[in-house]
Amino acid sequence: MAKTIFLVDDSATILLSVSSILGKAGYTVEKAASAEEALQKFSAGVKVDLLITDLNMPGMNGIELIKKVRSLGPYRFLPILFLTTESQQSRKLEAKAAGASGWIVKPATADDLLNTIKLVIR
Amino acid sequence: MDELTSTFVNESRDQLTAMEDGLLRLEQNPGDTDNLNAIFRAAHTIKGGSGVVESTFIEAFTHRVENVLDKLRNGEIPVSGELSTVMLECCDHIGALLAVLAAGLPQPAAELQARGDALLARLSEQFLDGRQAAGGAPGAELPVEHGSDLEASGGVVVHTDAWHISIRFGTGVLRNGMDPLSFLQYLSSLGEIIAITTLADGMPAAAEMDPECCYLGFEIRFQTRASKAQIEQVFEFVRDDCALRILPPHSKISEYIELINALPEDPMRLGEILIRSGALTTAELEEGLALQTGTHTVTADGAAARPLPIGDILVDQKVVHRELVDAAASRQTVIAEKKAVEARMVRVHADKLDQLIDLVGEMVIAGAGANLLAQRSGQSDLMESTSILLRLVEDIRDSALQLRMVQIGETFNRFNRVIRDSSRELGKSIDLVITGAETELDKSVVEKLGDPLMHLVRNAIDHGIEGAALRAERGKPENGTVQLNAYHDSGSVVIEVSDDGGGLPRDKIRNKAIDKGLLDASATPSDQEITNLIFEAGFSTADQVTNISGRGVGMDVVRRNIQSLRGSIEVASIEGEGSTFTIRLPLTLAIIDGFLTGVGKASYVVPLDSVVECIELADVPGERNYLNLRGEVLPFVRLRELFDIGGEAPARQNVVIVQYAGHKAGLVVDALLGEFQTVIKPLGALFKHLRGIGGSTILGTGDVALIVDVAALVERASARESQRLSQRLPAAIA
Repeated sequence: MAKTIFLVDDSATILLSVSSILGKAGYTVEKAASAEEALQKFSAGVKVDLLITDLNMPGMNGIELIKKVRSLGPYRFLPILFLTTESQQSRKLEAKAAGASGWIVKPATADDLLNTIKLVIR
Repeated sequence: MDELTSTFVNESRDQLTAMEDGLLRLEQNPGDTDNLNAIFRAAHTIKGGSGVVESTFIEAFTHRVENVLDKLRNGEIPVSGELSTVMLECCDHIGALLAVLAAGLPQPAAELQARGDALLARLSEQFLDGRQAAGGAPGAELPVEHGSDLEASGGVVVHTDAWHISIRFGTGVLRNGMDPLSFLQYLSSLGEIIAITTLADGMPAAAEMDPECCYLGFEIRFQTRASKAQIEQVFEFVRDDCALRILPPHSKISEYIELINALPEDPMRLGEILIRSGALTTAELEEGLALQTGTHTVTADGAAARPLPIGDILVDQKVVHRELVDAAASRQTVIAEKKAVEARMVRVHADKLDQLIDLVGEMVIAGAGANLLAQRSGQSDLMESTSILLRLVEDIRDSALQLRMVQIGETFNRFNRVIRDSSRELGKSIDLVITGAETELDKSVVEKLGDPLMHLVRNAIDHGIEGAALRAERGKPENGTVQLNAYHDSGSVVIEVSDDGGGLPRDKIRNKAIDKGLLDASATPSDQEITNLIFEAGFSTADQVTNISGRGVGMDVVRRNIQSLRGSIEVASIEGEGSTFTIRLPLTLAIIDGFLTGVGKASYVVPLDSVVECIELADVPGERNYLNLRGEVLPFVRLRELFDIGGEAPARQNVVIVQYAGHKAGLVVDALLGEFQTVIKPLGALFKHLRGIGGSTILGTGDVALIVDVAALVERASARESQRLSQRLPAAIA
């Protein structure tokens, strides 16, 4: 069965491009444009195999989202990747501490993205 | 333009607006870190997106802008007027670059490119250079040592072409959503795992074991063409909470020994594992152990330190340390990072909305038809169900129209920038006060409102607000004020642009109007009429033409623009104290609640929002067209006369009392037919000049009803009455 990847980013450009890459690679993609929206879907019990979230979002940021998702029972073991840039090294640790599994450095090529995903979901 | 690019362009324009607003706010409140973060985020999002759409020219430019903003955010450079100015120009430039991208050009024109380069040069000159040298210092502490000691410590090379990887997963990996197996699986995609030994030594007694923890470790022999960096990358995510050792092929035996010593398990057991997995031979291991005891003796009496850990791990640990410090520092700012504007939006193409509104309009008409038939049939069941249907249609109509409503605040906020730039240019200090920003009106109206508003605001800055000296003389505060205000008033939206400047010079306008032949020299117009002369074509009283306001081709265009939106504009001004331009616009252009009336066989719709009350027409003194409404003089218009409808008026006529812009008037009709949802169908070009009719609509019966233009009728009623009055007065006096 196709794995479902939940993509959270406030940038419509990123949502569109990443989801098209993932879609072509055979993943099912769920999208949310804000952490709040994502959290709502999580609370409703959305079935996903991986969460990919941006860190810098207006409203609730990615780190808070990761913390909240991690604290939800069904998602204790959910692989979570966050999108980050070279310039935000310091936030990696913070996101890891919040419960993220790993990260994807932007700008990433489609191959980078897919390889990183393969790293965390079988 | 493909979908991705257009999404990017639209999104980036929004971000630019946000950035510009932020920059303007920054000047007033330099310490606002939330705002700084928001500005940075906006620039960052544009840069990120430009990378995705592979627009290198936007990316390159925005990257530099982002650098400066980053420094600003980190407090490395102070907030200053020059900085904001340059940044705002950068915003403009990014906007221009976006236009280049939207136009599908591969790169900006040379001129634009040169302007961008000049801006970048200014940026680096004023805000980046010098600081960058200081900022570059941390880079120097990046460890460059590369295990030269290791090589010096010598030892026999282990003859194997396989890598050796030792990994002990941290207990928390599962809880962080990582599956050790997926790492191993990924590893095997890089090469071949020759041997793997699972170590469960870390497993506690069953009673103490937490089933959600990972206690496993692996010793892996791995054959690959991948580089060490690639292998390390596999474990990048777990490196911080794992013990990881990677030995390349042909490592020295001493390194293996160190590895064995560094790992938590019993060295003898590990040695056995290594031998069993084929990483080492017994002889090699023994030799290594002997060598290690040797080095230990050396260290015991020498100054040299303990056996060196593997260089790379040391490097890693250093990096980790620095990051930890950074993280602690940045955490405070992150916690402070407040929720910015929470915008959960769905972007919909305007055409789709228009189509929906059209369909809703058709549904309203069809619903009215069905309702009419149901009433004629006299079947109560049918009537009940159509009335429910009609109510739902009404709700749908309201929700659909609501979709097109936008707050005017965004349009108003644009003027912060205009005021800032033009007041600097003119050397006046002017504050902009915005009220009623949350007032909503139809998006298509808002779009067409930008230009007229711009003109009014620029006029206020240029001609309205006096110079500092004159202001002081008049005893006004040093800072001039331009105010933008919006509010709802009986079915229309009112937008006011006011200033506390010099006001309109009545005599000057009068003389000018006479000069231009707009006014007869003998005429005695009211003050109101004189000030409103400025809306006539070709009128400008400014002695000097500046590039802020135009050349007097403006006010009539402003009025035309507003009129094309079925709105009106007027000006009230007190000389020496200021002027207020008042724009009145209909709330929506598509569907309104109407009040249906009948005159003879024709039907007329009066917009319900402007209806105050209905009374019976009685006690009319003579042929005069006014009546006594509870002591108030109320002029009225007989629609039968006005529209020249044949036939005798019935014995009993009704007056619909309407209100517009503070004036009341009555419309005399034969019959009151009740509320009616009115889908406005605009009149064709042929009827454009028709006064008193604002549009048409289709009734449930399929008949056409005309929608009366309340503004024009009210004006007509009051004008006529005052005209008659002034004609009669001299006669009466004589």
